Amino acid sequence: MNRRTFLLGAATAAACSRGARLNVFNWSDYVAPDTVPNFEREFGLRVRYGTYESIPEMLAKVMSGNSGWDVIFPSAEYIQPMRDMGLLARLNHDWLPNLSNLEQQFQQPPWDPGLDWSVPYMHGATGIVYQKSLGWEPRAWSDLWDARLAGKLTMLDDPPEVFAACLKTLGYSLNSSDPTQLKAAQQRAIAQKPLVRAYLNAEVRDQLVAGDVAVAQAWAVTAAQAIAAASERSDGVSVSKLAFSFPSEGFPRYADNVAILRESSRQEAAHRFIDYLLRPRVAAAIVETTHTAACNGAAQDYLPEALRSDPVLYPSAEILSRGEWFAPQSAAGQRLRDRLWTEIKT
Amino acid sequence: MKLRNIFLQPTAMLMAITMLAPLAIIVVYSLLTRGAYGGVELPWTIENFTRLWDPVYGIIFLRSFWIAAVATALCLVLGFPLAMFIARSGSRKNLYLSLVILPFWTSFLIRTYAWMFLLRDTGIINSVLQALGIIREPLPLLYNDGAVILGLVYGFLPFMVLPLYATLERLDPSLLEAAADLGARPWDTLVRVTLPLCAPGIRAGAILVFVPCLGTYLTSDLLGGSKTVLIGNLVQNQFTASRDWPFGAALSLALMAVAMLLLFAARRNGEELL
Repeated sequence: MNRRTFLLGAATAAACSRGARLNVFNWSDYVAPDTVPNFEREFGLRVRYGTYESIPEMLAKVMSGNSGWDVIFPSAEYIQPMRDMGLLARLNHDWLPNLSNLEQQFQQPPWDPGLDWSVPYMHGATGIVYQKSLGWEPRAWSDLWDARLAGKLTMLDDPPEVFAACLKTLGYSLNSSDPTQLKAAQQRAIAQKPLVRAYLNAEVRDQLVAGDVAVAQAWAVTAAQAIAAASERSDGVSVSKLAFSFPSEGFPRYADNVAILRESSRQEAAHRFIDYLLRPRVAAAIVETTHTAACNGAAQDYLPEALRSDPVLYPSAEILSRGEWFAPQSAAGQRLRDRLWTEIKT
Repeated sequence: MKLRNIFLQPTAMLMAITMLAPLAIIVVYSLLTRGAYGGVELPWTIENFTRLWDPVYGIIFLRSFWIAAVATALCLVLGFPLAMFIARSGSRKNLYLSLVILPFWTSFLIRTYAWMFLLRDTGIINSVLQALGIIREPLPLLYNDGAVILGLVYGFLPFMVLPLYATLERLDPSLLEAAADLGARPWDTLVRVTLPLCAPGIRAGAILVFVPCLGTYLTSDLLGGSKTVLIGNLVQNQFTASRDWPFGAALSLALMAVAMLLLFAARRNGEELL
């Protein structure tokens, strides 16, 4: 026995003594409390579960190719770039019998039509949350330039989202990389800035509930959580002081997906985890916890009526047809957007 | 090898690994090309440094300097009387010093969030003022430069108080008595004796406050509502949303160079900083 085989043997022994382990790297607050423990119990696998707050944070870790993670949750527009970088493993559909539970629109998503590299997990849209006490309903992005909102309006602190709202008011695609269109959008954002109280992401939720903010550009998940938190029961019916609208000019749609890293040496366990997440009951429990819409159509049967018919989570097909998916930006487009964004903030 | 040198080896290695190596990586990254989705690629370029001359970044640097300078000045104005009070409080010195350091027991992030709860429209300050009938509409306390400066002064005041205290504590009381004997009124003694003798402490405190304020990103994000970017936010953005690591590295090197220049400018011939 030479030194190398000894070390290999020692490493294997160490791995076995700790039990087989799966490493799952997910967005924060994106599973139910019992999702992972139930999986561990049923499959006899230990899960190391880590969370991230943004895609760049996740990318920075997995780009090295030896991050130690197996399962990750990239947003739709990052699937192609991550494939190009050789980070993703091809999925084996034989190990994913529950794929059929996916909603029809996610069986062939534009970012990965064959579901060869990713499985749609949760989806949502960006729109407008507002206090019903406002007296009028902001129904379009262009309503967010109304002088009456001065000091009571927040926008997302996320360049693609702010550009999306501005581009849509001008009638352009939210993925535009055309310098003239982007500069026009930048002028819109600068014109809006005096009205803006702050650029906030998920933090806006508490301020909407408390009443500090009257109108906010927000992700559907933040909106659904804020609306639920600001609800009061009267005559047995739950009424919220907040409401959500899907802007009439069109709006961004986003989807997060489950994928397996190519570096993973636990491909089968990782597939099992994804197939477990695709179970209707598991997905429904996650929807109940996170107030996010699952891409899992079969899960709807297990949801309470209030969630299943929640227009923020599950809007009609007619509303969804106004949505546009985020797409990857070219390097030049990205750089122009960065530059314009810095100018907006200066 | 001398015994002294042997004992210095661990520290020297620690410094080399934790300071020089990362710095070298930053320098190398700043000279490379941006990878499409983060990271760095060849070829070598100095473009990241030439981009720094863009006026938009000049404005951000100037704004950051201005905010940091105001915060430092306020820390000095608030910290000096406090340091003097502690230095002269006899047996209670240690109690007061512990109170100055006490906030460090909680993370700066948490304390900044606490300020958000105080300053919000529906926060404690506005609610109390409204309940007392002093104001009708909530005051816009949060999400402006004032809130950012307040957060910085609050966070970095101890860094001003401690070096001031150290010099005031060493100040020979007989010098002050001599000034009084020679007819100086308390104000004259303060301006012409105490302050000049405290100059090293003031310089040390000013640097300890100014440099971290210059690089702050958390306070401007949380209390400023991300409406304006400071250098710290600009650097952070390059590594997150913009995914332009080389430019972020170049920006932080520029920031470091400025901080170094200030350190040298503040240092008098042969004088120690602390």
